[in-house]
Amino acid sequence: MTKVHPAIEISRLTVRFGEKVPFQDLSLTVERGERVVLTGESGRGKSTLLKCLMGFTLPESGEILIEGTPLNGETVWRLRSRVAYVPQEPELGGGTLRQWFEQPFTFKANSHLKGNLSRLPALLERLSLNPSLLDAGSDTLSGGEKQRAALLAALLLDRGILFLDEPTSALDPKNSLAVVNLLKNRKGLTLLGISHDPNFLTLADRVIPFPVKGP
Amino acid sequence: MGAHPIHNLALASFYLLLIIPLGIFLWFRIPLLNRTLVAILRMTVQLLFVGLYLQVVFRWNNPWINGLWLMVMVIVADLSIIRGSDLKARKFLLPLFGALVVGTAIPLFAFLGPLLKRPTLMDAQYVIPIGGMILGNCLRADLIGIRTFYSTLQKKEKPFLLSLAQGARLHEAIRPYLREACQSALAPTVATIATIGLVALPGMMTGVILGGTNPATAIKYQIAIMIAIFTGTAITVVLAVLMSIKVSFTPFGTLDFEAFRTPRMK
Repeated sequence: MTKVHPAIEISRLTVRFGEKVPFQDLSLTVERGERVVLTGESGRGKSTLLKCLMGFTLPESGEILIEGTPLNGETVWRLRSRVAYVPQEPELGGGTLRQWFEQPFTFKANSHLKGNLSRLPALLERLSLNPSLLDAGSDTLSGGEKQRAALLAALLLDRGILFLDEPTSALDPKNSLAVVNLLKNRKGLTLLGISHDPNFLTLADRVIPFPVKGP
Repeated sequence: MGAHPIHNLALASFYLLLIIPLGIFLWFRIPLLNRTLVAILRMTVQLLFVGLYLQVVFRWNNPWINGLWLMVMVIVADLSIIRGSDLKARKFLLPLFGALVVGTAIPLFAFLGPLLKRPTLMDAQYVIPIGGMILGNCLRADLIGIRTFYSTLQKKEKPFLLSLAQGARLHEAIRPYLREACQSALAPTVATIATIGLVALPGMMTGVILGGTNPATAIKYQIAIMIAIFTGTAITVVLAVLMSIKVSFTPFGTLDFEAFRTPRMK
């Protein structure tokens, strides 16, 4: 029988920026379909951890496995098409919001998912985003609108693993609840998030204070 | 018939014309006086040296020496781009050199071969001035293009990383920045093409007319050189970006700040 690997395995990860060491020897496992939320004071390296998982920040030592595959310069391109990431303050670049939603489907890795765009109107409604925003310049959106748009773009890609960095930090309680309800309905989704929002924490199977202690 | 000769004494006296701009600088205290004097001195020495050297090169008219001279010009252009940008020579010298060689060679040899049908492509009288004109423009465009590409990428790093996170390969994620670099680098050439002849008589046309050729032929030369310059600059900018990304990104697709002279703190 083939072994089913956890969705995410982080072992003895250390990140160093010059003198600054955000975390050291960090180990964490997230099972498939599990929803884990990291909490803890700012500046402790939670966002850095998510950037490591995306290959945007290179650790000094340690290992990351995504669904059993070690994350390195060769595998990262394949692994990025299995995960989705929403940064805390997404910048959507120029152009209209519609163009921004369409852009990922022009990438070869996602071209087979183009049909998913038909789900966009319903998803916009779920998160109280006015469809007229689609023709607005993406840089004219508020922080909360950008956050919701970035989350929807991630969901449209149908990835099995979702990394969310404070996805409701710019939202009022009503909209933050809408985000939580939307995510609750995604069966089988593995989620590793960072949040201090009480609404968002209700989504978690495990809430882990950061820095993570012990294996 | 060639251009009317200029006597040394007459040229020396012509420098007196500079009294007007230098006087303006002094009167209005424009802080350009020293830089202008140094620039004029440098121009004089450089052109005297190049003039003497080219006389020898033209007399010998040896294809290998002409080729070598072109290579020296490309290396100087390459170093100027590196100096004028934030790039480390160790990493970028070779890819930018390759882009300049290809970007200059294609329009140059199309000009000399199919267009002028020169019996020898490496004839000094043609290959050096035309090569120099194309290369000079490639240098200017490349400098703007490569600077725009990397500075925009650093400024807009977040949307770039988001593209990578959404599954883009590196060549897909850099496309908006490549577009912006090309636009910045080529827009001045496009503007020059659009206004040529209306705003000023271009250098090559003036040179050919002064050399005694009739204006109809001079115009044909000018049209051809503009096409050559535009083609050369477009090739150079795109190649410079595409060849340099091999040394300026990590295997994970993020910018490698070690490739730049002023590495950003993470």
